[in-house]
Amino acid sequence: MNNIATQRIKREFKEVIKSEELAKCSIKVDLVGDSYTELKGEIAGPPDTPYEGGIFLLEIKVPETYPFNPPKVRFMTKIWHPNISSVTGAICLDILKDQWAAAMTLRTVLLSLQALMAAAEPDDPQDAVVAKQYKEYPEIFAKTASHWTNVYAGGIICS
Amino acid sequence: MSPPHNPDAEYFPVQCLSVDEVEKFLNELVEQLCTSIHVTPSMSKVLLYENKWAVQEVLWKYNEDADKLFVASRMKTLHPVSVKTKRDKFVCPVCVGPVAEELGITSLACGHCYCDNCWRCHFENKIKQGVSTELSCMALNCELLVPEEIVLSTVNKPILRKKYQQFAFREYIKSHPLLRFCPGANCTAVIKSKESLAKKAICTQCETSFCFKCGNDYHAPTDCATIKKWITKCADDSETSNYIAANTKDCPKCNIFIEKNGGCNHMQCLSCKFDFCWMCMGDWKAHGTEYYDCSKYRENPQNGSESARAREALKKYLHYYERWENHSKSLQLEKQTLDKIKERINSKVMTSKGTWIDWQYLLDSAALLAKCRYTLQYTYPYAYYMDNGPKKELFEYQQAKLEAEIENLSWKIERAETTDRGDLENQMDIAEKRRATMLQDFFHI
Repeated sequence: MNNIATQRIKREFKEVIKSEELAKCSIKVDLVGDSYTELKGEIAGPPDTPYEGGIFLLEIKVPETYPFNPPKVRFMTKIWHPNISSVTGAICLDILKDQWAAAMTLRTVLLSLQALMAAAEPDDPQDAVVAKQYKEYPEIFAKTASHWTNVYAGGIICS
Repeated sequence: MSPPHNPDAEYFPVQCLSVDEVEKFLNELVEQLCTSIHVTPSMSKVLLYENKWAVQEVLWKYNEDADKLFVASRMKTLHPVSVKTKRDKFVCPVCVGPVAEELGITSLACGHCYCDNCWRCHFENKIKQGVSTELSCMALNCELLVPEEIVLSTVNKPILRKKYQQFAFREYIKSHPLLRFCPGANCTAVIKSKESLAKKAICTQCETSFCFKCGNDYHAPTDCATIKKWITKCADDSETSNYIAANTKDCPKCNIFIEKNGGCNHMQCLSCKFDFCWMCMGDWKAHGTEYYDCSKYRENPQNGSESARAREALKKYLHYYERWENHSKSLQLEKQTLDKIKERINSKVMTSKGTWIDWQYLLDSAALLAKCRYTLQYTYPYAYYMDNGPKKELFEYQQAKLEAEIENLSWKIERAETTDRGDLENQMDIAEKRRATMLQDFFHI
């Protein structure tokens, strides 16, 4: 791994640890192994959403060319969301693709993902089945998402 | 109506330029802008790229409100970040390390500062991905474009510099509405026109002809958007249609398998001598003199259930697709037909039936036939997307007439003798007039 990438990840790691979000238990980053190429992220389900109360694990892979290319992020916890594959956990989010900017950090990525959980983009879906349900039967969607949160992410069922 | 000075509505003057000539042409525009307003050549390239190379328009906007122009052209931001940090305390937000003494710190007009090493990594990474003119600032949501001179003074690997210049050149041409790369295989020519119209441009280097506006095969009377829709649709449905529009058909009378290997749709079964139309498989006598209605699709008015409607839609599509495909295949056989004609001319000359010069008109007629058939092929997508009504009826009427004349011409060419040259030339004239009328009435650009 090149110098800039390692330097950046070390620094960002500290940034997340010091951040106020960590204090509020809403985001967290852990190292996987000794290298800085693979990390484990955690996001708390945002309040007033079907994901509330759940803890969602993320797989973060840092490319050689970081921060000039975005990190590869995937949900390890199963989640029912229009922009996230219910099978693989792959995420459809512009900043993880062409809208990535070198000045963005792991912290901003995690916060953006949290924002995505609170406000889905059903017109740009990753999972067509979920997106269809989200648009056509929002109540059933909320129940399914809440059930998945409960079963896979350890949340409580919202009434 | 076609302009009086040129009776051919399809006439479209274009110039075929080499890479050097295009570079010279673009540089002249850049220079023209540089001398009129005080910007560097590199900045003026960004301005022109963002404003489709309309120098006059840029100048006009500049005089109106220069700042507005620069903001719209992604060269300035309304609220630049103020940089007050001293150099020794500066931490580059990308590499978050101390900046080495010999390294510079650079920012665009937006004020987002980064060390030159990070800029270089950013540029190299993007160039490898094929980005050139769209290279922008590294800050989040900052769209400011990086001018060429900054990229070239930062990137020092010769391969990447060369790549960047090649990509940028491509982008400049793509952004110029009057320039277009020749779509011909392995052709490096750039075609320049006076107007950006959906007309037929012909590359003088490789002789590829194409629509200047969209770069696809020339498609009059259909417009660019419709032909794109049609081609996509055909690609989607090709499997079904290919299966249905198989290469052989049975003779409607004796049911022998017939493979069509020439251009004409007037078929005569070799085994039972029945004359029929390859399109509708009906008796040719019913077509000939009076009314050729085989290109017209009759919509079934009794549309009941949804599946019946779907069937009807497929049938309608296949009707047009089959005809489109038929003419396209006929055109592909054009070379074969031409060889056959040449062979025939040779054998006639050898048997002292006229001289070589006497037979040259056959080649002209073959060329005209191909031209007419080409237009006819492109009338089918047009008709497919037309709404029902008098306009469509008129269109299909003209289409049917054109088709009838083309088949007549094709039949006559295949059986030409020196004695009916006048008759054939008359038929050529009729077919071309039908074609010109059709384009004049329905091809508006």
